[in-house]
Amino acid sequence: MLKNYFKIAFRNLWKHKGFSAINIMGLASGLACFILIALYVADELSYDKYNEKANRIYRIDADIVFGGNNLHLAVSPDPMGAMLKKDYPQVEEYVRFYASSGNKLIKKGNEYITETNVAHADSTLFNVFTLPAVAGDTKTALNEPNTVVVTESTAKKYFGTTDVIGKNIETNDHTKTLYKITAVIKDIPKASHFNFDFIFSMDNVDYQWGTYLSNNFQTYIVLKPGTNYKEFEKNFDQIINKYILAEAKQFMQINSMDDFRKAGNKLDYSLMPLTDIHLKSDRYPELGVNGNIQNVYIFSVIALFVLLLACVNFMNLSTARSSGRAKEIGIRKVMGSEKNALVRQFLSESILTTIISTLIAFGLVALCISWFNQVSGKELSMVSLLQLKYLPFLILLPVIVGLLAGIYPAFFLSSFNPITVLKGKVNAGFRKSTLRNVLVVCQFTISIVLIIGTIVVYRQLNYIQSKRLGFNKDQVLIINGTNALGNNAIPFKEEIKKMAGVKSGTFAGFIPISGYARNDNSFSKEAVMDSKNSLNMQVWAIDYDYLSTMGMEIKTGRNFSKEFGTDSNATIINETAAKLLGFDNPIGKKLYTFFQNAGTQKLIYREIIGVVKDFHFESMKQTIGPLSFRLEDSRWATAFKISTTNIKDLIRNVESKWKAMAPGMPFSYQFMDEGFDNMYKVEQRTGKLGLSLAIIAILIACLGLFGLATYMAEQRTKEIGVRKVLGATITNVVSMLSKDFLKLVIISAVFAFPLAWWAMDKWLQDFAFRINIGWWVFIVAGVIALLIALITVSFQAIKAALANPVKSLRTE
Amino acid sequence: MINITSLEKYYRTEEVETVALNKLSLNVKEGEFLAIMGPSGCGKSTLLNILGLLDDPDGGSYVFNGTEVAKYNERKRADLRKRNIGFVFQSFNLIDELTVFENVELPLIYTGIKAPERKKRVEEVLDKMQIMHRRNHYPQQLSGGQQQRVAVARAVVNNPKLILADEPTGNLDSSNGNDVMQLLTDLNEQGTTIIMVTHSEHDAKYSHRIVRMLDGQTVTENILV
Repeated sequence: MLKNYFKIAFRNLWKHKGFSAINIMGLASGLACFILIALYVADELSYDKYNEKANRIYRIDADIVFGGNNLHLAVSPDPMGAMLKKDYPQVEEYVRFYASSGNKLIKKGNEYITETNVAHADSTLFNVFTLPAVAGDTKTALNEPNTVVVTESTAKKYFGTTDVIGKNIETNDHTKTLYKITAVIKDIPKASHFNFDFIFSMDNVDYQWGTYLSNNFQTYIVLKPGTNYKEFEKNFDQIINKYILAEAKQFMQINSMDDFRKAGNKLDYSLMPLTDIHLKSDRYPELGVNGNIQNVYIFSVIALFVLLLACVNFMNLSTARSSGRAKEIGIRKVMGSEKNALVRQFLSESILTTIISTLIAFGLVALCISWFNQVSGKELSMVSLLQLKYLPFLILLPVIVGLLAGIYPAFFLSSFNPITVLKGKVNAGFRKSTLRNVLVVCQFTISIVLIIGTIVVYRQLNYIQSKRLGFNKDQVLIINGTNALGNNAIPFKEEIKKMAGVKSGTFAGFIPISGYARNDNSFSKEAVMDSKNSLNMQVWAIDYDYLSTMGMEIKTGRNFSKEFGTDSNATIINETAAKLLGFDNPIGKKLYTFFQNAGTQKLIYREIIGVVKDFHFESMKQTIGPLSFRLEDSRWATAFKISTTNIKDLIRNVESKWKAMAPGMPFSYQFMDEGFDNMYKVEQRTGKLGLSLAIIAILIACLGLFGLATYMAEQRTKEIGVRKVLGATITNVVSMLSKDFLKLVIISAVFAFPLAWWAMDKWLQDFAFRINIGWWVFIVAGVIALLIALITVSFQAIKAALANPVKSLRTE
Repeated sequence: MINITSLEKYYRTEEVETVALNKLSLNVKEGEFLAIMGPSGCGKSTLLNILGLLDDPDGGSYVFNGTEVAKYNERKRADLRKRNIGFVFQSFNLIDELTVFENVELPLIYTGIKAPERKKRVEEVLDKMQIMHRRNHYPQQLSGGQQQRVAVARAVVNNPKLILADEPTGNLDSSNGNDVMQLLTDLNEQGTTIIMVTHSEHDAKYSHRIVRMLDGQTVTENILV
């Protein structure tokens, strides 16, 4: 019987090739989309799960509100990990990462390469995370200072082999340091929130150890099995009182944490489960680029929607074709077929169609996967689908989708009354079906929401690009790592300034785009600092030419100047800082702070000589915080304002100067506007993905609409013939045929608008600086949808309207 | 074999009620060849549909082979129909997507006969209808007369007790029409009861008895044999 069903199914598909093709392609596109997104979501959800102890590893996070700053940190004080292990039996192990010294220069052959994936870690690293060794013994690898663990690929990159135990790695920060390779580990899986090529011994970190008042280490603890981490978190209150409060009292007037909190401040430590970090942690500083659980939800929902769209299409087209099957259904019923047998027959047909579509879908996925990887920043592959755990899913998918898509048409078709169908002249006509209309409306609602979403995302991106930043990011060339020039730094800067097309230059270790230095400290108007009167703000070290090169504006007062010898004790603050400090006229006022010098903290003051206009130094997702400048060369990078069209020549000249003055050091440069764009990579990706999904959704909806329109035109051939004989023009006929469909699109728009507005408003809430969703966005989206629908339908409508009435009226 | 008493059938739309069968009574003996005639709209097709258990009456009684079937639900009607009744239509009503063989096989599939047995019976009946040589062709490839022969083959493959024919020669030329009528006569002589609706006086002459209908009732009866 099943064979019989499939035989009929095949013949039916073949007989109506065009129609079947539309149906299958629509379903295949939806399935392909679904599969791609499923791969993406599965990957996102798998982060860090390669660790055996993944369910028991937690990172210590800090939330601090103090002095006008609201900090969400992924770092904690240096002694905290060891203290927790010592004082609390529930803590099985701990490990810290130190990644704040940034990139390292590592010698390869005769040159230095800038390596970005580097960190220092405690020797307990391998007791916490599962990082299997390829050579050496990870148990003892980082016990001693001047040791390093490298990954397999790194060993091969530097030495051509993994047999490198005992070999040396040379780094160059201020001084050259040798590290002995004590172990080689397998490359850390991509699905990990951190990914290092070099892991150096923690003993080599130059740090003021033992302070609970600075948070600079990513600390992870392993809790014993059965420990409830939320319960364990409650211990932090007493930890804060015992260790942090005690130390803080040495520097400021704090009597108790209650007073601290009553003054509006906050100091909380919490545990973030390892498996939550990738998708839910948006703190500072993260060890890698994290994803966003919201995106995972959004994409999952979209995947389901697209699949639903495709199923809806299938249902619509199948039921629309119903009168073509009516005769066959009637005959079968007369021959004695029970309704259930017919239901089974139609379900087999839909499952067969779905199986074909699924196979095609896999083909589509294979074609698109490299493009998808580019857009999503992942490295997915078809191979990952072939894992055993996915097999039942792969087999069930076409069956379930086939059932889902086929059940309504199956019952609809099998309920036909044989009598009405066997009179000989079967023409059930293009029945207006409420359900069919509802389905079309659903499809276009989803499509319109996606169109609106895409427009808004691109507008926000555009806004970020063009908003007044308070500094000028265009035509600024940044040379990285200029501290490597040593004594040649100033001559280098002057030489470059002399080149044609270079307008000014400044030492700029602190730059308002991501990837450059940040530093904060607490300041107070009064000599005695307490929680109420102190303001925590950024402190950036700049030179005389910084403000002009960056295009920042002084609002009141003046810039640092060589004419004033006391400027080394001066400071310039931004407008936000001035407001938060409560100064009417800040010029000439004093700001007290603790300054680190030769191992001790000394209370000093700085005199405010100027106020700079606020500029964005974090992403637009944050409001502008308080910031201050002090006068000192920070030579980690040097920035040049240029105005030349011949960039290539300029870069070449700069590079040859570099090679002369810093031989063997890596030459690395970046244009500031590129660096700025990179801060919004995630949003750009979202925009691209949104655009692609919108296009696919519309394509599917249009395929469905096309199929329906084709069918409708076919069914109304006689009616159109009659109307033309009675005098209707082509325009009359086309508008008559299109009218009903366009009405549906308008209804879809009405549903889509509030839905899209709500969704986009939520997305924009993440941004401190955002556009207003103008009303015209909705109009444009609606018009686009309407136009697309019109074009799709009118193709068939015009064809039908042009048909010769003589022919259509004859076949009765 | 068939006893119909006071049969009623209405068709209702939103505003209009049409009486199709108006307390019609009819008896058909086993082995009889009955012709039903009447003008358009008199209710012939409705009567045939009820006789064929394709539809249910709104009132009255229908006793088929000793069983009252007027109140049967769709499932029971389908079951009774496939075991006992064969149909021949004016427009043949073969399934275009199936071959001749598969079309004739269809009733056997629905009564659960296994494949080898099906093959045997279908070939037997195709042979009898002299259409065996076209068994792998599709209906569109056959002439009208050939299609109707296939339809008749399909109607008899299950050895039904009753054959209902609705204008069987309506779409055929006179020569083919006569062939079909001869087929039906042969079947009747072998014991199958035949009820035929027709407009053609010529075709009606092949029957034993002619019942004429008007406005949902029988009005006259001619006995020819």
